[in-house]
Amino acid sequence: MSAPSMQERKACWGARDDFWSCLEAQGEDAARCQELRLAFEARCPQQWVKYFDKRRDFLKYKKKLESEGFHPPETAGKA
Amino acid sequence: MVTVTVMVMVMMMMMMMVMVMVMVTVMVMVTVMMMGNVIPGVTPGVTPDVILGVILGVMAVTGVTLGGGGRAPLPLWQRLAAVAVLGGAAAGAWLHLRARREQERRRRRARELRALALGQGDFELVDHTGRPRRKADFLGQWVLLYFGFTHCPDVCPDELEKLSRAVELLEGDAALPPLQPLFVTVDPERDDVAAVARYVRDFHPRLLGLTGSPEQVRAAGGAYRVYARAGPKDQDGDYIVDHTVVIYLLGPDGLFLDYYGRAKTPAQIADSVRRHMQTYEPLPD
Repeated sequence: MSAPSMQERKACWGARDDFWSCLEAQGEDAARCQELRLAFEARCPQQWVKYFDKRRDFLKYKKKLESEGFHPPETAGKA
Repeated sequence: MVTVTVMVMVMMMMMMMVMVMVMVTVMVMVTVMMMGNVIPGVTPGVTPDVILGVILGVMAVTGVTLGGGGRAPLPLWQRLAAVAVLGGAAAGAWLHLRARREQERRRRRARELRALALGQGDFELVDHTGRPRRKADFLGQWVLLYFGFTHCPDVCPDELEKLSRAVELLEGDAALPPLQPLFVTVDPERDDVAAVARYVRDFHPRLLGLTGSPEQVRAAGGAYRVYARAGPKDQDGDYIVDHTVVIYLLGPDGLFLDYYGRAKTPAQIADSVRRHMQTYEPLPD
C-alpha cells in the first residue's frame, strides 16, 4: 500500500478540517457530525484517523491548559 | 550685606550642581550596567578602566555643562548641546554593549553545538534516483536536512514545505552559496527508492531523498541523534513512525551547525542560515 499523494493528503486534511469545524460548531457533539465523520474516515487512512483523533484531544487539552491553567490531580503521589 | 547674600546663593548653586552631577553620573552608570550586564572581567571590553573613564567623563561634561564654581551658567543652547552629547554617549555605549552581548551569545551557541558533535561518521545511503550517496559526497555544500517518512500524516509535509520555502527564500540572494535540501527516511521498510521519489516530487525541485537498508538508515539517524520508533500496525499493516521533528543545518565541512524546531518559520530559518553562511569560518585541519 503506497503512501498517499499530495492530492490525497490535502483531501484528507480538508475532510478532517470540515469534521473539526462541525465539532466546534456543535459543541463537541459527535452525533450531529456523523456525515462529516464518515467522509473523514473515507478520505484518510485508518492510522491517520486515529492519529488526528488523538491530536484533537491534545489540542483541546492544550487550550484548556492555556485558558484555565494547570490543576494537578488530587491523588498525585509524593514526589 | 549684599555680598554675603550673593556668596550664600553661589554656594547653594554650587552644592546643587554637585548633586546633579553625581545623580547624572549614577544614572548613566546604572543604565550602562543594566543594559550591558557589566561584570568587569566577564563582559569583554568593559573593564574597570572603561567604567572609571565613563564616570570621569560624565562628571567632567556635567561640570562644564552646569558651569561649576560660581561663574554665570552657560547659555541654554550650550547646556542643551552638552546634554545631547551626554545622551548620545550613553545611547552609543548601550548599543555597543548590546551588540557585543548578542555576538557573545552566538559564539557560545556555536561552541555548544560543535561540542555536541552531531552527525559524525559516514553514512552509505541511496538517493531517490537509485544512486549511492555517502556523507562525503556532500562535503563542500551547505545542507538542510530533515528526517521523516512518506506515510506521515501531517508533520513531515509541513516541515518539508517549510524547508522548501526557506531554501527558496535563500535562492533569491545571489551572493549566497547554494543550499542542498535533503530528506532521509526513518521508515526504510516501506520507503524504498520509488516511494521516496514519489514523495520528494511534491516539494522543492532540488530536494534529494535518501533511503537504504534498515541498518544504514538506523546508523544515519543515530549519528544525528534522531529518535524513531514505529508504532503498532493496524489490520492493513499501516503504522505511524514516531520521530524527532527537527531540521538540521550542516556546513560545508559536514559539521552540524544549527537546528530548527517546529516553531521556526521559513523566514526565521532562512535568516539564520544566511547569518551562518556569512559568518562561516572553516575549521582548521
